[in-house]
Amino acid sequence: MATTASITLASDLLTDAISVSDSTTCMKAGSASDDLDQMELGCVEIATGTNFDLLNADNALNKDKANKVYVCNDSTDETYYVVITIDAIVLGRLYAGDWMFIPWGAEDATADIEIQAYTGTNKISYAWFHEGKTLISA
Amino acid sequence: MATTATISISSDVIDYFGGISKTMTMTKAGTEIDIAETTGFSRRKLAATSAVDLITMANELVEPTDNTAAKVYIKNIGNNGVIDKSTFVTVSIGDTGGTTQQVGRLYGGDWLLMPVTVVDDMDVVVAPSTDDAVVLEYTMFFE
Repeated sequence: MATTASITLASDLLTDAISVSDSTTCMKAGSASDDLDQMELGCVEIATGTNFDLLNADNALNKDKANKVYVCNDSTDETYYVVITIDAIVLGRLYAGDWMFIPWGAEDATADIEIQAYTGTNKISYAWFHEGKTLISA
Repeated sequence: MATTATISISSDVIDYFGGISKTMTMTKAGTEIDIAETTGFSRRKLAATSAVDLITMANELVEPTDNTAAKVYIKNIGNNGVIDKSTFVTVSIGDTGGTTQQVGRLYGGDWLLMPVTVVDDMDVVVAPSTDDAVVLEYTMFFE
């Protein structure tokens, strides 16, 4: 199994344009041959007023691993945005149409990926590629 | 002027997963006006496990506007063309002299694109997992 993430980044802000094209195959932590083999996809509408856990780090199977997380703000009003936080430290804002792709350390139980919506209810899609998830007993 | 970033994710973890493909045009906060400032494209070679600022927000030549639509791109390109998937660089946000919060581990060949606040002392901090040389390529777009 293989999961690959590619990016094409282009900017004409400089006289000589920036043009980057990269791709990585998402492996398990420290491995050159063992691909990440589990994933979770989601789409949620997030109302304003509350900071929510989008992904919960309280999971021994993912602690200090090679998790990869994609989050996209699928809202269409350019004034809408969400603030992405990990353990009370704000990473930044994703405005309507913005996406991010990050490794996620999930190094302790409080290192959740948190999200709070502003201006209006934001529509968020996300994908989490990982090595395992502790399921909750029924 | 425009700055665009397109991500494509493919995976056979789920047979019927159709993949992800998304293009964003980086704009100023809350507008459709193109983002207009960049640090340019840079590279930095690290050869110690100590944490260092890759981007120090207070040192930007033009003081960025805080809490807007800034984005950072970083890639771990290994060293001398050798990409080691067994080693990583921990990427964090914060102040090397104070509090930092880990984002995650950027293994050899991996890249990230994430929003940042550009608030002073909310720096992009990196720390290699070994003393072996590793090179990071990076750029930041901001207001």
